[in-house]
Amino acid sequence: MDTPATPPTKSPAPEELLALLQRLTHVSRLATMGEMAAGIAHELNQPLTAIASYAQACDWLLARGSTDTAEIRDALQQITAQGLRAGEIIRRLRNLVRTPDTARVVTDVNELIEELKGLALTDARAHNVRLTLELAPALEPIVANRVEIQQVVLNLVRNAIEALEGVPPERRDIVLRTAPGSDSNVELSVIDSGPGVDEAIVDRLFSPFVTTKPAGAGLGLAISRSIVEAHKGTLRYRPVGAGGGACFVLRLPHAQGGA
Amino acid sequence: MTKDSQALVFVVDDDEAVRSSTKLLLKSVGLPAVTFSSAQEFLDNYDPLQPGCVVLDVRMPLMSGLELQQLLNMRGAIIPVIFITGHGDIPMAVEAMQHGAFDFLQKPFRDQDLLDRVQKALEKDRVNRVQLREKTRIQERRESLTPREREILELMTRGKPNKVMAADLGVSQRTVEIHRARVMEKMGASSLAQLVRMVMDLDQPGGDTSSPSAREAAR
Repeated sequence: MDTPATPPTKSPAPEELLALLQRLTHVSRLATMGEMAAGIAHELNQPLTAIASYAQACDWLLARGSTDTAEIRDALQQITAQGLRAGEIIRRLRNLVRTPDTARVVTDVNELIEELKGLALTDARAHNVRLTLELAPALEPIVANRVEIQQVVLNLVRNAIEALEGVPPERRDIVLRTAPGSDSNVELSVIDSGPGVDEAIVDRLFSPFVTTKPAGAGLGLAISRSIVEAHKGTLRYRPVGAGGGACFVLRLPHAQGGA
Repeated sequence: MTKDSQALVFVVDDDEAVRSSTKLLLKSVGLPAVTFSSAQEFLDNYDPLQPGCVVLDVRMPLMSGLELQQLLNMRGAIIPVIFITGHGDIPMAVEAMQHGAFDFLQKPFRDQDLLDRVQKALEKDRVNRVQLREKTRIQERRESLTPREREILELMTRGKPNKVMAADLGVSQRTVEIHRARVMEKMGASSLAQLVRMVMDLDQPGGDTSSPSAREAAR
């Protein structure tokens, strides 16, 4: 099951491959954004609705000669807070669509998760999925291109959300877990309560153009694994067990361990 | 609660800011509102006797607005529901309308659009409750008839002349006349036309006066 995503026979130059991978990553990130657009639009609508209603309420209160300034001020403060909330949603989105930054930096896995948490939760909520974070404290730092690793995680979460489509809402669960792995690795798992991956395709899961989604290109996991391998890490699938469900485990080496 | 209690607008939305702002907007034009953060919370506090209307977010975790609507329908609730939807939720809005939603509104909404719909929904609720009360009254009157009187009522509404009724039932025309008078009196009808209309209203589908909550609501 550890077949390489791209079996190289006559390989192009490594830097060419890297550039290609980066472009593919960007495209795949934009595709993820497209899939998440509905959820984000819904999320943005909330503060906008609140702003419009608070403002119109203030207008009515003033037009009717209300002297309850505390109530009006409270509404105005709410308008400010909701404006900032909308800005925060846009900021999270922009962080993900900006052109990739190729720099690798020493970073904390939990911090990466914290940054993408908002988007992932938005997406989960829009699909009636409970997303739980279980972050182990004080993890060893890793060396990573932050945006790329975030893209891999979001990709796994998106796959999990899609896997839960046929599951009743009260049993739609995803756990995003970090743990100090063995052998100088940090471990990150995405576990869902869905049906698990069909055994027939488990062995080819990470090969390009293998997909179970009607509209999928089958590149998400292939690109994800390429990104992870470029970080000297591993990305593996294992079934959760009797109750079904899928678990994807991402392992990345500690910063002092190389890369 | 009594039938005279003041109408309330029930705002059900999982987003705190949307909930509070909608409540304030309604309040600013003199419409009292009560908020609920989930469909379940609304359901737990739902009182069929309380007049009003529901402003319901279509998309909520655990129990969606559509699921709540179906539960209300199953309980025979007559309270009008205005759905609040996001941009991509038009198919859901269509489904809601097919299941008898009063109206729907896209987020974000203009105050006038919300207030117009709420006013119309409250008016509809008021009319619904009056009609239901009237129907229940007629229903109760019909139930007070003896089996023989009910037979006579049935034949009267089918337009049978006294002579035919007498022959059908094997009684004298005089007996039929006495029963007829009793039926008219008990039903509170002043003419045959009015009596026929009453019975037609009762048997019309949609006016489900037999469901317990509908009957309760009519008191």
